[in-house]
Amino acid sequence: MPSPKPRLFQNGRIASAASADLLAADVLVDGEGRIAAVGAGLSAPEGAEVVDCPGCVLVPGMFDVHVHAREPGQEHKETFATCAAAALRGGITGLVLMPDTSPPVDSGHLVKSAMDLVSESSPISMHQSGCLTKGREGKEMAGFSGMASRGVPLLTDADRSVPCPDLMRRCMEYARDFDLLVASHCDTPALSKAGAVNEGRVSYRFGLAGIPAISQEIAIDRDLRVAQHTGARLHLQQVSTARGLKSVRAAKEDGTLVTCEVSPHHLVLTEQDIRDYNTHFKFNPPLRPAADVEALVAGFIDGSIDLLACDHAPHTEFEKSSDFGGAPFGAAGLETTVPVMFDRFIRTGIFGWDLLIERYSAAPRRLVGFAPVAIAEGEKAEFFVFDPQAETSVARETMRTKSPVSPFLGETLAGKVLGTAFGSDWHAQA
Amino acid sequence: MSELKPRKDLLDIEGLDLPEIEYVLSNAVPFKQLFQRSVKKVPTLRGKTVLNLFYEPSTRTSSSFEVAANRLSADVTNFTVSSSSVVKGESLLDTIETLQAMRSDYIVIRHQAAGVPNIVAKHTGASVVNAGDGYHAHPTQALLDAMTFREVYPDYQGRRLVIVGDVLHSRVARSTSTLFNKLGIEVAVLGPGSLVPAGRHDFMTRLHSWDEVFDWKPDAVYLLRVQLERQEGMFFPSIAEYHKMYGMNTARLVRLRQLGAYLMHPGPVNRGVEITDEAMRYERSLISTQVENGIAVRMAVLHWLKPETDTD
Repeated sequence: MPSPKPRLFQNGRIASAASADLLAADVLVDGEGRIAAVGAGLSAPEGAEVVDCPGCVLVPGMFDVHVHAREPGQEHKETFATCAAAALRGGITGLVLMPDTSPPVDSGHLVKSAMDLVSESSPISMHQSGCLTKGREGKEMAGFSGMASRGVPLLTDADRSVPCPDLMRRCMEYARDFDLLVASHCDTPALSKAGAVNEGRVSYRFGLAGIPAISQEIAIDRDLRVAQHTGARLHLQQVSTARGLKSVRAAKEDGTLVTCEVSPHHLVLTEQDIRDYNTHFKFNPPLRPAADVEALVAGFIDGSIDLLACDHAPHTEFEKSSDFGGAPFGAAGLETTVPVMFDRFIRTGIFGWDLLIERYSAAPRRLVGFAPVAIAEGEKAEFFVFDPQAETSVARETMRTKSPVSPFLGETLAGKVLGTAFGSDWHAQA
Repeated sequence: MSELKPRKDLLDIEGLDLPEIEYVLSNAVPFKQLFQRSVKKVPTLRGKTVLNLFYEPSTRTSSSFEVAANRLSADVTNFTVSSSSVVKGESLLDTIETLQAMRSDYIVIRHQAAGVPNIVAKHTGASVVNAGDGYHAHPTQALLDAMTFREVYPDYQGRRLVIVGDVLHSRVARSTSTLFNKLGIEVAVLGPGSLVPAGRHDFMTRLHSWDEVFDWKPDAVYLLRVQLERQEGMFFPSIAEYHKMYGMNTARLVRLRQLGAYLMHPGPVNRGVEITDEAMRYERSLISTQVENGIAVRMAVLHWLKPETDTD
């Protein structure tokens, strides 16, 4: 097999977490997939492919710590291959797989078998996380040491809280010995019950069972106290209310080892955006009122929220065609997150590429113990080319995920990922 | 009357404007007058088909629609699906496909899940009438309530209605309060805090006791049915306590009579829970009138809606 040819990315501007300013420079990637040179006016070596990027931004590859790839067990929704294709289209070069597959990943063997499948079918880096409890049943601790030896990036019961506070405490005490990160989906099932939307005016108007804000807030408070008590590291998934964020801020000030994430839909959509029982807007945690969204955006900017994670949760269009109460929670997010964040925040000047890179590329990698990627000489090529003048039409026909279900369907977003470089591969996007 | 835009479906009250409401309510009056004649039928919907699709048992509402359709000379098919017999795996969309094949002109649907009539309406050319979906809406109930209220109060604007009971789980409370508000009738609610949660009702006054109700001087009191099966023991301690706190009993009936206020209930009543036997015999009870007006209003609704299948 001939070794891949070098590739020169010309006339683009390089973004980084370190500076709001974009650096005008060409980037040369060698045949091994390393960045051989960064500088103005680089000339293409013989046989090199030239990718002309006038007016485009070269952005370090994003890393998403909250992805449901559905393999194994629910391949009708998504597979590692379709998940990777969606990620590449969205400028994402690495991700953490949630363990709520069928069967749930709750042992070292299952982590290994998932990682073997990943290595066969994924062109990007995927890291399988593990369950906190056996079978995600919230009853007994899962096989921590086996999963730790297979290098799980974190443990979580994915979309479920550990209901028993004593078991949560023991999990965190035990995880601390392995320096394993515990990630918690904060929810109090006795409060959220069969709820489908945020409890309040919208649930009342639609006549749907509500999920009260306190169902997440009480769980956040509980897990923060358990983290303080045990001294273990805690990551809170999908903080969605102002009050929950306030608790996280206070805990950080007290020195608790806590980080938290927010989902793009919670930053740009409110419960008022749910119209005519459109199940593509059904999320867990649910979309919240505007006041919560404002607080989350402020927290995203000031750093109280450490990182962005899209909660890519594909369900087929058929599954989503049920009535609102009966439809499953979640939607695809990998392909839309970067364009949505650009359209709503960067284009409008609310913040720059540097902040998005910090929250969606650097901080997520640091969270799971990886070094952030940068577009610099000697680094592995992991970046995407983004054209701020182009547009992304979110349409089911063009989405790469197996389940083109998204609250942004039908929207035309400013900016477009033209392609993603991963090592020596260049995945140009149509 | 000015031209109305043709409307295919009746899904909720929020979407209706005042001319539409007036149109339906005023058309219901001559339909009701028909009921006094020996021949109660008009040929309005001759040759049209009405499918009564009930996923939740409700003899009253289903019969009311059936009678209404019959009196308009439509052909009626009743299709009652008890939830236990819904074939597993048949999705809502599959059911809609089946319905499409039946080529009904009107589909009257009741479903335990909120929003199902909206989905059906989107996928079919037939006119869809929501006959109650989950906690969401029951628009024909609201219209018949308004018709009943306006019969006893032709000067209805500025008058007052108090709704008593489980507002949280009541599609009747949602639809009726919304319609009365649109008509300029003041609405207040009485019920326990667990069933009348704060921050949901922009236009409704919250009352906390019968004393407050009588001080507020309502023109009618609307008792909601206590949904015994929905309580799960979580919302109030016992039926006996509910009756004591919120039920229409003898003492309260005396004060209601002093005010000259009317009594309404969507039916079926739980005797001894939200209302005593004695109160059922109250001379200003409108409960039977509500049932009669239900047929007239449903005739007016079927007459008003324009199915896409309607090419004449």
